[in-house]
Amino acid sequence: MKMSRRILFNVIAWGLVLAVAFPLFWMIVTSLKPGFELFRRPPTMLPETVTFEHYWRLLSETPFLLYFRNSVILASATTVVVVGIGTLGAYSLVRFRYRGRESLAFLVLFTYLLPSVVLIIPLYLFMVKLGLSNTITSLVIAYTTFALPYALWLLRSFMAGIPEDLESAALVDGASRLGAFRDVILPQLLPGIISTALFTFILAWNEYLYALVLVNSDGARPLTTGVMTMLISAFNIEWSLLMAASVMMSVPLIIVFAFLQSYLTRGFGAGAVKG
Amino acid sequence: MTDVILDQVEKRFGSFTAVHCLDLHIKSGEFVALLGPSGCGKTTTLRMLAGLEFPTSGDIRIGERTVNDVPPGKRDIAMVFQSYALYPHMTVEQNIAYPLKKRGVPLAERGAMVSKVAELLQLDELKDRKPKQLSGGQQQRVALGRALVRDPKVFLLDEPLSNLDAKLRAYMRAELIELHARLGRTMVYVTHDQLEAMTMADRIAIMNEGRLQQLGTPDEVYNCPANRFVAGFIGQPSMNIADGTLDETARFRAGSFEIGLDPERFDTRPGPVALGLRPEAISIGAGPIAARVRVVEPTGHENIIILETDGLGALTARTAVQVRPTVGETVQCGIDADALHLFDGADGRRRNRDDSMVTQTPVGERAKVKESQ
Ligand SMILES: Nc1ncnc2c1ncn2[C@@H]1O[C@H](COP(=O)(O)OP(=O)(O)OP(=O)(O)O)[C@@H](O)[C@H]1O
Ligand SMILES: [Mg+2]
Repeated sequence: MKMSRRILFNVIAWGLVLAVAFPLFWMIVTSLKPGFELFRRPPTMLPETVTFEHYWRLLSETPFLLYFRNSVILASATTVVVVGIGTLGAYSLVRFRYRGRESLAFLVLFTYLLPSVVLIIPLYLFMVKLGLSNTITSLVIAYTTFALPYALWLLRSFMAGIPEDLESAALVDGASRLGAFRDVILPQLLPGIISTALFTFILAWNEYLYALVLVNSDGARPLTTGVMTMLISAFNIEWSLLMAASVMMSVPLIIVFAFLQSYLTRGFGAGAVKG
Repeated sequence: MTDVILDQVEKRFGSFTAVHCLDLHIKSGEFVALLGPSGCGKTTTLRMLAGLEFPTSGDIRIGERTVNDVPPGKRDIAMVFQSYALYPHMTVEQNIAYPLKKRGVPLAERGAMVSKVAELLQLDELKDRKPKQLSGGQQQRVALGRALVRDPKVFLLDEPLSNLDAKLRAYMRAELIELHARLGRTMVYVTHDQLEAMTMADRIAIMNEGRLQQLGTPDEVYNCPANRFVAGFIGQPSMNIADGTLDETARFRAGSFEIGLDPERFDTRPGPVALGLRPEAISIGAGPIAARVRVVEPTGHENIIILETDGLGALTARTAVQVRPTVGETVQCGIDADALHLFDGADGRRRNRDDSMVTQTPVGERAKVKESQ
């Protein structure tokens, strides 16, 4: 009885893993197959001949590297801005006493509940007014508006877990307020900062809708929309190139994940339990 | 000279007053304990001395200097927190060296200073550990080390021993007394444990609900409690206090119990009063009071006996081990008339006339003067 339940559990778990992993596997395989093997029936599970020509074409013949650069700048800048403001904001929400502190915190979360589609047009008009339309900056601002509320809440729960006495002790020991923040608060907050940074980076890296609406020149276009416009037209989809691009888009995230995975799970745990 | 002076200090949090009009003069080199029940404002007072909290009104002076606007790091104080507040990401050595680093002591000198303190507190072996890898007692010593390393003028300690087990606490108590004797520094020690206060302090400041009740030596607060609160708070088991009235002939009455009081020794104006009796002032065996024995608690070197009487209600007596009545039995007991304490029925003020040695703080009176100005 117990045995059969365990088998069933394992079958379901592996089934789920396969369901999630198969598209990834297929993406890699497709990107390595030569063009003529792509639509063969029955399809080949493993490529008969492995080729890197799609990767080469992507790098040499398309603006892929430009988009890649844009995405890196965009995601990094968003992460820095969100983590910077989020850390200071969370510090204020936890440490300083002022009227409406709690309601402010909830209001911040409330903005997160608005569907982002509703905000696109106003935000677009806003960017035009500011003269920022068609720039990476406009996307950084847009992403900040929806990454910041969540970041604030995540960091707030981390910050609340740092005893106030630690900071007081640093002050008595001769540190300035800023010094105490740097020497004592920041190191304690590091897991929170890392998981917030990861969350923000992934969000900015994968975002599509805002990028599509707010930016339409190659100079500012990130990978998501760039790859789409470049490889998908009404008449033709460049499957091999698309898959190669997808692989290269995923690589940075996979690397980052691999290194910071333990921080990330810890971070989501803290967000879930405390707060 | 590093006297620490609180001059009419008041601290409000919104509409709640945590500390009322506190006047306290701590002399240079003195060990003063702030003692009181939970929530009476001890930590708040200490944090104001440290500069972590600012008084709503009043002045704080350390040495010659008024420090109201001086940040904590510039007050030349060190503080040990109840939670120890060790920096979790630093080693023991880095923790102790942190105050030196923040004050710009050159790296070369730091090592020697840290070593000296580590040796004093027997932390040599633990220098490279993180706080998490230490026992409570070791953490406590690191916290102490971080305070000691800089040789500050004033030490502020907030219940530093409350997280330790009884044995370690007794040991650290002795260590702290010795340390104070050796350093000769002014120390302000917050505790809610009267045993700590009585055994360690030169003088004890007893607080209740944000008000100073009495400032005096351990002897004074035990033998001449300034009011009913102090009388009930100091002493283990606590003083028996019975409500009653005084008539024109200076006789105290409570139900069927009555006793004449000497107007030379007491302020015997008639009216409602309370009579206080330490457990050791009650003798069992012979005497005018009939009492039923309710509980007998032998502690080994003495017996604590709880009695039920007609006029005085429940009485706790402390007797020699040989005196051991059986529960339910009725015994006669006497009281030592020289050891009576009389308190006012209205404001609880002490009404014995032996009070030349008591430092009485007129509770709330200065506050009233201030408000009317
Ligand atoms: N930052 C604050 N905001 C509002 N009220 C506070 C604040 N700090 C302390 N209080 C209140 O002031 C009163 C005194 O607090 P304090 O911490 O000084 O007590 P304590 O005597 O140290 O008690 P304990 O023995 O429990 O540590 C308490 O009623 C507390 O709730
Ligand atoms: Mg306290």
